[in-house]
Amino acid sequence: MNSAELLFAITQYWLIIGGVVAALFLVVGIDRIDEDARGAYVFRPLLIPGILLIWPIVLWRWWSLESGSYDPESRYKPVRAAHKVIALGMFIAVVGITSIGLSVRQQWPADYVPQKLSEPVEASE
Amino acid sequence: MKTDTTPFFVGYFKVPKKLRKFLLSAGILLVACLTVFGLLIGSTQDDPGNGAFRFDYGRQTVTGVIENLPYPLLHVTEGNDRIKAGETLMLAAGGKMGVMARTSGFSGQQIVASGVLLERGDLNMLQLRGGRQGLRMAEGDGTEMIWEPPVSEPLGRWRIAGEICDGKCLAGAMRPGRGLAHKACANLCLIGDIPPVFVSSQPIEGTEYLMVVDKDGGPLPKAAYDYVAQFISLEGEIERHGDILVLKMDADTIEVLP
Repeated sequence: MNSAELLFAITQYWLIIGGVVAALFLVVGIDRIDEDARGAYVFRPLLIPGILLIWPIVLWRWWSLESGSYDPESRYKPVRAAHKVIALGMFIAVVGITSIGLSVRQQWPADYVPQKLSEPVEASE
Repeated sequence: MKTDTTPFFVGYFKVPKKLRKFLLSAGILLVACLTVFGLLIGSTQDDPGNGAFRFDYGRQTVTGVIENLPYPLLHVTEGNDRIKAGETLMLAAGGKMGVMARTSGFSGQQIVASGVLLERGDLNMLQLRGGRQGLRMAEGDGTEMIWEPPVSEPLGRWRIAGEICDGKCLAGAMRPGRGLAHKACANLCLIGDIPPVFVSSQPIEGTEYLMVVDKDGGPLPKAAYDYVAQFISLEGEIERHGDILVLKMDADTIEVLP
């Protein structure tokens, strides 16, 4: 399996699992964790593309709401305190990744002289 | 109760006095850094060269003999002002498609080909028009229509270094038409049967461009696709067909260069 086939296979399995999660969540799960969705069906197919892509987050959120481990106030906790660190980290990451990318880049083998290993075996007809 | 006097930026309000200097400095610094960063990245890129579609030449129509290797070559027998008799052209269709299926029935026959020329140095390719307008049998009673392609000249076994590209983008359909940034496009073109071309580090028998086929004469081996757009060295038999060199690559000898 080459790199391209591996990427295709990963994408394929990701979407297949996403399809199963979408079916389970939209038929069973959504009614259990969101009372506003009960009895409403037309909008559910619209969620399928999104669930195909982010099904791990859907599963995590479904589980955390079902199990009661989700703290609804956590979404209101201020995040500004982390902005400075994250901004600095992103700056370092961008410069670092670019520098590493450029430093490991292949160099055109301009000095490589083509070598003739052997004369033709037989004349072409 | 203590009042929080920390200035707060709101886009549709007047900028707080304490924030003006910071915002101005941050804005100028951001634009300056991005400009310098962009210039630095740009300066590390290779020159895309002078390959291009030659729409300025107008539509080119020539007569010649098809040789399927299996990628088709057109040996021109009656040229025009731009393409002289005796020249050899690689062929492609529009987009990322080759013309192997279209030329398979014309092997060794005299045909009329029409399309747009792509040109990079001594590498020439003709992008054929669709259907019979692009490729049809030359008119005649049939007796003089069967031609033998020029005799191929074996040049021995070589070890060379360079890069496998797709011939169409390299010839000028894309700028740049080679390099890692172009790898996905190149592989799609090669899957579509565009003739692959090896760009050699230094000229071999006068040219640095060699059409690539498998060591048994078949299409580009699957093992080569992972190495497209990387700088590699490999071994293979080289033959001259008309004025084009053909490399029969041995995929087992590929080595990725540092």
